[in-house]
Amino acid sequence: MSKLVLRDVSKTYGATVALSHGDLTLEAGEVHVLIGSNGSGKSTLCKIVAGSVRPDSGRVEIDGKPVAISGPQAARTLGIGIFYQELSLAARRTVEENICLSDLPMKAGLFIDRATLSDRAARYIALFDGVTGEGFAADAPVDTLRADQRQLVEIMKTLASEAPILIFDEPTSALDRAQVDRFFEILRGLKNDSRTIVFISHRMDEIFAIGDRVTIIRDGRTISSMAIADTQPPALIRLMVGEKEELASASAPAPAPDAGKTALAVSGLSGPGFANVGFDLKHGEILGFGGLHGQGQSAALRALFGANPYVSGTVSLAGHPVRIATPAEAIRQGFAYVSGDRRRDGVITGRSILENVTPIHFLRRRLALVRPGALRKAAEPAISAMKTRFAGFSHPIDSLSGGNQQKVVIARWLIDRPDILLLDDPTKGIDLSAKADLFALIRELAAHGMAIILYSSEDAELLANADRILVFNGGRPVRELTGEDRTRYNLYQAAYEAAFGAA
Amino acid sequence: MMARILARYPFLPALVIALVLLALNGLYQPRSVSLIGLTGLTKTYLALMLLAIAQTYVVYAGDIDLSVGAIVSLVNVVLVVLMERWGGGGVSIFAAMAAGLLVGLACGLINGLVVAALRLQAIVATFATSIFFTGVALWVLPVAGLPAPTAFWRTYGGRFFEVPFVFYAVLLLALVLYLMARLRLTTQLLAVGDDAQSAFQSGLPVTAIRIKGYALCGLFAALAAFCITGDTASGDPLVGGKMTLFSVAAVVLGGAALSGGFGTVVGSVFGALIIGLINSLVYFVGTPSEWQNLVQGLAILIALMAGILVGRRTRR
Repeated sequence: MSKLVLRDVSKTYGATVALSHGDLTLEAGEVHVLIGSNGSGKSTLCKIVAGSVRPDSGRVEIDGKPVAISGPQAARTLGIGIFYQELSLAARRTVEENICLSDLPMKAGLFIDRATLSDRAARYIALFDGVTGEGFAADAPVDTLRADQRQLVEIMKTLASEAPILIFDEPTSALDRAQVDRFFEILRGLKNDSRTIVFISHRMDEIFAIGDRVTIIRDGRTISSMAIADTQPPALIRLMVGEKEELASASAPAPAPDAGKTALAVSGLSGPGFANVGFDLKHGEILGFGGLHGQGQSAALRALFGANPYVSGTVSLAGHPVRIATPAEAIRQGFAYVSGDRRRDGVITGRSILENVTPIHFLRRRLALVRPGALRKAAEPAISAMKTRFAGFSHPIDSLSGGNQQKVVIARWLIDRPDILLLDDPTKGIDLSAKADLFALIRELAAHGMAIILYSSEDAELLANADRILVFNGGRPVRELTGEDRTRYNLYQAAYEAAFGAA
Repeated sequence: MMARILARYPFLPALVIALVLLALNGLYQPRSVSLIGLTGLTKTYLALMLLAIAQTYVVYAGDIDLSVGAIVSLVNVVLVVLMERWGGGGVSIFAAMAAGLLVGLACGLINGLVVAALRLQAIVATFATSIFFTGVALWVLPVAGLPAPTAFWRTYGGRFFEVPFVFYAVLLLALVLYLMARLRLTTQLLAVGDDAQSAFQSGLPVTAIRIKGYALCGLFAALAAFCITGDTASGDPLVGGKMTLFSVAAVVLGGAALSGGFGTVVGSVFGALIIGLINSLVYFVGTPSEWQNLVQGLAILIALMAGILVGRRTRR
């Protein structure tokens, strides 16, 4: 008998169909991967199982018995624990309070049993002993932690539910290699205890490393399920993408255009989190920043954009030295910056799509007043270049999926084209077909002479799209890979060898 | 280092400000820091301290209660009228106090239901209930001036074993607050105030928790009303009205975030103390009466800014 069965579950938000036909069968003792492009309904499906979203129709069975999951509390009683992609932590509370928040141990019927709480939390913290990183402590408030550490707390919180069914909605997006390895070790242990695990990730290698079965979701429908052993990444991508256009080729990037003039020259750039960064970037070139995640790539990009300070070093644009202190200056000098952290750096939540496409246009043209009609006309080509699916310019941006939100954010830079485009892990949490659209566009922009720096935490993306790769380690570029040297082997070697050397 | 201490004890700036004000009080009026002076101060401002505590529990959850003053008025008149009706003896006093607590609890529950269950905006909804509670208070006692039984205010202002009653009350209050900080509800309120959506997704009964916060608030407002009654020795259907925003100011002075999720009741007590000390300092300095409001307002602004500057300095 299957542990949990969803039959024909659906959910609509106003006019948007989040899930039209969800079927899912989970067995005990398996890691079940959900895969699908962003906005395909994975998160909605998870939230329905977790009780935080109520389905419009459909049936849920646990251990063969039909159940109604009326809310998160009901889900917990039914034995379901969930890791939320956007996390469900109380920022001002401590790590241990967050781990136990759903079920605070009590004494005398009123008071928190601090000793039991600490003991219980310590058990789950101990699981990640050695990989939690600096500043992580049981009594540290969550808002003092780094993104990867917060994600670990959410994992611990999910594990602390001790639920037979555990759902992990993108638990690894901010984790480093060692943390992911440890997490997978724990998942394997849970699997052997015949727990049921749902796992969502946008990283193909992770899916194949940990998954037993996979269910593909496309456009709100579950397309098919199969054993991981019976499939290959290209086949999964084809199922996810459906009959849509071909993906950008994963090999043989265009030859580096040597003819271009130098657009940006940086030397000796140092600041918090990065040191001695130097390179020349030509028009029409895509320079990759590579290496393990969090090795200063982001910090250096943000410094170039004036969003973070830098202490020393020179930056010159087309031969003229400049000193950039604020993003507004950087934008006027022709920089563009797209961050993978959409919520912090990109999306203006609660506002319309049009308002999200046009702020840079206002800034660069120094517009004060403009007719909405004219604005729409300016925004349309930019947004259609990104193949963004949306119902109307006046809809709030929150009505779009993560991938489409990111497309809107990128589109905002395309109305008045910048000279230098800084991409800071732009595809984090974006589905594969949107990624393909994005990289096709980036290549096209480069062909028109734009100088582009691409930092990606996915090595395949970097290898496929960058003309040159600067491998970062411990805040410094340690190796440059060009031409035939741009192989996965060299990239891993440069990133990992140096990392172990430094440790 | 400083940031860590401040994160653990967010009421420290308020404590320092209160101590500075106390020293200034002593400078201008040495008798104000004597036992008699401090007893008087506590007697007068214990009600505001309790009301600030009341407000803190709803602010924890990111809510606000603009009806606390009206609850104080209502409980005050109910208490005085019932004590009079039931004869003014020892038993009647305790019975009337029990009734007063129930009234406070009921008012809190009404607020909680309106805000958390019916999902009305807390500011507007509790403003509306404050008018309603005031209306009820005026119905119970249309004009101010009904005296409280002598035994009641004599006890409040009196001494036992040479120690003023209010100091026992403060001691008891400290114990209660110590215990309440360990309540599961306190942590749950803070978690809800931190991020209501996260709390809901973590399986916390968010609506019930917010209602409980308002209920606690009502109870403490009733306790504040007892102190007001002991201090003024009479019933007045409008006595608490102007205390509402002072209670909010005290909470903010005490280092709590109005957006919820952060703060301490101890800080709010010091916040109330700051307001009381400013009022007495303005008087001791000899400010002409027509300038008193202006100076008071400026002093509270300065105290707020001092607290915020300290917080900002250490957080960055």
